[in-house]
Amino acid sequence: MIQHLPILAIMTYFLGAFLTTLLGHNSKSVRWFLVMLASVASFVMMCLLIKPIFLDGGIIGYWMGGRAPEAGYAIGIGLEVDALSLFFGLLVTFTVLLSAVYSIKYISRDDAQDKYYTLFLMLAGGVLGLVLSGDLFNIFIMVEIMTFAAVALTAYRNWAEGSLESAFKYLAVGSIGSSMILAGTIMVYSQVHTLNLAQISALLAGQGLTNTTVFAFALLFIGFGVKAFIVPFHPIAADAYMTAPASISMVFSGMVNKAGVYGMIRLVYVVFQIMDVKSVNYLIVLLGTITMFIGVTSALNQHDFKRLLAFHSISQIGYVITAIGLATSLGIAGGLYHAMNHTLFKGLLFLCAGAVFYSAGTTDLDRLGGLAKRMPQTAAIFLVGAAAISGIPPFNGFASKWVIYQACYEAAAAASGFASIFYAVVTIVGLLVSVMTLASFVKVSQSVFFGQLPDEFDEVKEAPLLMRIPMWIMAACCLLAGLLPGPLSRFALQPAAAATLNIKGYIDTMMGGGYAASQMGDVTPVAELDFSTIGYWQPVAWLVLFVIIMAAVLIVALGSQGARGNKRSTELEKVDGKYATFFGGEHSTYSMVGGSDLFWGLRYNLRHYFGFLSDMHSGVVNDYALWAVTAAAGIILYMFLFL
Amino acid sequence: MILTNYVCSILLIALGLYCVVCKRNVFKIVIGMGVIDYGVNLLIVSIGFNPGGSAPIFTARELSHDMFFVDPVPQALTLTSIVIGACVTAMAMAIVIKLKQKYGTLDTEKIRRIHG
Repeated sequence: MIQHLPILAIMTYFLGAFLTTLLGHNSKSVRWFLVMLASVASFVMMCLLIKPIFLDGGIIGYWMGGRAPEAGYAIGIGLEVDALSLFFGLLVTFTVLLSAVYSIKYISRDDAQDKYYTLFLMLAGGVLGLVLSGDLFNIFIMVEIMTFAAVALTAYRNWAEGSLESAFKYLAVGSIGSSMILAGTIMVYSQVHTLNLAQISALLAGQGLTNTTVFAFALLFIGFGVKAFIVPFHPIAADAYMTAPASISMVFSGMVNKAGVYGMIRLVYVVFQIMDVKSVNYLIVLLGTITMFIGVTSALNQHDFKRLLAFHSISQIGYVITAIGLATSLGIAGGLYHAMNHTLFKGLLFLCAGAVFYSAGTTDLDRLGGLAKRMPQTAAIFLVGAAAISGIPPFNGFASKWVIYQACYEAAAAASGFASIFYAVVTIVGLLVSVMTLASFVKVSQSVFFGQLPDEFDEVKEAPLLMRIPMWIMAACCLLAGLLPGPLSRFALQPAAAATLNIKGYIDTMMGGGYAASQMGDVTPVAELDFSTIGYWQPVAWLVLFVIIMAAVLIVALGSQGARGNKRSTELEKVDGKYATFFGGEHSTYSMVGGSDLFWGLRYNLRHYFGFLSDMHSGVVNDYALWAVTAAAGIILYMFLFL
Repeated sequence: MILTNYVCSILLIALGLYCVVCKRNVFKIVIGMGVIDYGVNLLIVSIGFNPGGSAPIFTARELSHDMFFVDPVPQALTLTSIVIGACVTAMAMAIVIKLKQKYGTLDTEKIRRIHG
């Protein structure tokens, strides 16, 4: 029974998508019932796999139609679920479940809801199929289903400003990435004449690297890079996250880009086993570092709530890629931990943006303000998410970023010469990016939730309960994931990190015992991962400190409320209108600077750099395609020169 | 002989990429995406080709000892890939129609309300 669960979980989504169109066309309740049934059922099935895979350390191999390998060749299509797949599978099903609950209310004012839910479940099935698949061509199919549904969902609110153009850009650049994956797949096939990941892994290791293999690796790497939206493939992501409905933005940042990250991990660690080549490590770390830096600095430039969150999403993926590229046990564990945390806090922030949009009807930072008075719960949840993403102690972002810094630092200490300096710089950039993340969330909170409430938002109400429930669940998860790094690491992260190196187990589960040894010669046993140096902090001590500080702030705030009074901004501006913006955060008549532009000074001083970023995101699809093609050419050239 | 196929497929992919990168008309970009697809499909079929091989469809009586086949797997992959390509083109066209309705133009330079 247990080995049928992965395929059942995938089919539940696709069947749900089909039935939603068929039966849910007219009736709201039937539609909700089907969607909830599919998302809950898949989540439960993934949870049932926790025991055999995470706790007992098993790997599930499944041949569709029972077509087991014949004469040492995989002829069927296989699913293979190891701890790494399950880790991402759990993230996917969890995100889908919460997003489905949130969608019920959030899109209740739109028409064509049956199509929304159909595409939503197709997207879910595509991503889940990708992470559980054990077949390279099957992965390409799932990538295409995922991209297709994601593009359609981006254009879902086609009355909204820019949704159509961002869908088109996503499709154009995304299909370049898909073509790269397909071309890479067929290059691999021409070398080993099989599509099964396990067999490819065994045969490639036996053959060693040829020119064709290097080319195939480069193409697949670029393809998954496009799907993970690393810089310079990222502008499409910023547009799509911004214009899609918030429930879909959450799904994008929670699982669609994780699918790219998963593909990359599977590719470099298991299929090509290339991470002991130093030049590949440097390339991945470099790309990750550029991604996190460009992402966060572009975010400082934004004045739309969701677009700002989108750039932060890109920036956080940079952390994950950097950590993965280090190829140390700490790095892999930290990267996976941060991938999980990113799903939690970024989903939470997108849901908050959705709640603001649902209640106030806009996400423009220059127009919003003071919503904490009208939406206290959303404001509180937003602060949790903001604290988590900027890495403030009791929350999960701090724990995972700490592990990543530590991994970078240790890599710098272990390496020598140029590499040592490189990793040291990466560590510093990581810290700097974290600071800038905090800065830009200070800006968001002061221009959306604090400051003066504009008159037009006087009637704004708190988001409905059905939207707040998923937000509270995610906020609780953010806190729990930060407070329990020990158990989480023991039961989920360490098995998943170990799975990236357990190549022999991965191959033998699929191809039968002894196959790996027969093809690869002497199989090096799995290196015991060393987690003893992992420096988790004392969560409880930090929690106590945090509570004390919050209590002090609360007392001061309550005590001084009368004294501060309710001075209108115009009176302050008469004193010195030029600076009112910087401490008021409200719309000021006499100031040249918008209410959301808290870091105007920084932006002015670095105007050439920010101007360059602004020009880079020109909005013309040709430019984005040019960036993608140039980067692809560069990566291919790099691989041929240094591999 | 087979080298021509490889050269042609690379040429098609390069032409398609050129189209997506340089053409300012949205329609031409969609065509470029299609051409990239065709190039990749040609590559797939060429990789499965065996000079002198017959089609991998046979009955037991036709089978003789000196017969060999072209690889059927890439052909199956090509079929799937063609279907996906058609879907993507249809989807892109649907978006182009909506773009024309909303923006009144097909020029990518003018379809850039989201930027910065």
